[in-house]
Amino acid sequence: MANDREVLREIWEGRLPVCFQLNSEETYSLQAPDAYYLMVPRLSYFPLVTDKVRKHFLKYINPEKQEAEMWLDFNGQPLRWHYPIGVLFDMYASDIQLPWNITVHFDKFPEDELLHCPSREVVESHFMSCIKEADVLKHRSQVVSNMQKKDHNQLWLGLQNDKFDQFWAVNRKLMEASGEEVFKYIPFRCYRGDGPFVQHLVRPVTEEGQKKTLHHLISEVFPNETDLHVMTHGIEPPWETPLQWLSEHLSYPDNFLHLCIQTS
Amino acid sequence: TEPQTTDPIGSETPKSEKTDKTKIEIRLKANGNATNYMKKKKWAVDPDKKISSIMEFVKKNVMKGEVEKSAFLYVNQSFAPAPDQIVKNLYECYGTDGKLVLHYCKTQAWG
Repeated sequence: MANDREVLREIWEGRLPVCFQLNSEETYSLQAPDAYYLMVPRLSYFPLVTDKVRKHFLKYINPEKQEAEMWLDFNGQPLRWHYPIGVLFDMYASDIQLPWNITVHFDKFPEDELLHCPSREVVESHFMSCIKEADVLKHRSQVVSNMQKKDHNQLWLGLQNDKFDQFWAVNRKLMEASGEEVFKYIPFRCYRGDGPFVQHLVRPVTEEGQKKTLHHLISEVFPNETDLHVMTHGIEPPWETPLQWLSEHLSYPDNFLHLCIQTS
Repeated sequence: TEPQTTDPIGSETPKSEKTDKTKIEIRLKANGNATNYMKKKKWAVDPDKKISSIMEFVKKNVMKGEVEKSAFLYVNQSFAPAPDQIVKNLYECYGTDGKLVLHYCKTQAWG
């Protein structure tokens, strides 16, 4: 299980400075609104941290748009609310200067590119689905289905309220290899460019029982490719990092490793 | 943007080669309270097809007006993939015997 608590803590405390600005074409008032600055947790999701952003800009937009769903873009690229914030940042990291400038919209929702997020419950159900999927990969879904509803709630509330101890008291059960030494498969998603992410079945050990590393994962998913860089949580983990350790310590709260792939 | 319906795959079709251009066989199975069933259960779909288009397809063709909002689709009878997940990823991880089985129902199941 996840033993290196300091690493878990560091990962949990990752924050990004964001400068939110209203799309200038949507300013309805005479006076342009001030930008709104926030430090946001990398592990969270935008709909969980932007209530105040919405409130700040509402008085500057068309009164008819007061009930409209807010959405965000960076450099003209709509930001998917169902990806953790840190993943979105790492995807575009090479183009970003801090603070991260994000444009706020209430109009012209990009239906083809974004999923709707009418409420926090939608985020919760997406988050829990990811945890269940990860558990299918790790433990054939045995751990999550043996949990009680209150454990599921605790995971969600721990994330939503940014409570490390609350979250990890339950998450540690999901990060145990349950009797065996390793997970069955490593839950991960690889992001490259703007296309859909890539998922494969990758075991944490070779057929001979040797520990696999990040290097194994990358060469299994992107065979015959060289000069790739892997970014997660704003760092490039060493390629010799064992996959089992990586999964236990550098997974997002949804229990997936989210790896952003760049070509050098 | 619907899954292709005119190109059923025979069950004997070899599925050993998985390239980007090869279509993926999916099986749609009714679960619980989905009262309308399809006679045809096998479909060949493009690997890059999003789950959202299969949800739309099930809603239009199977549940014919039964559901207001959407159909629910489940993998392994355990989790609901995100609407923008693509068939290829699910097939890679959860496909069995050359096909991907998706259960559909009109209300949320499996939590």
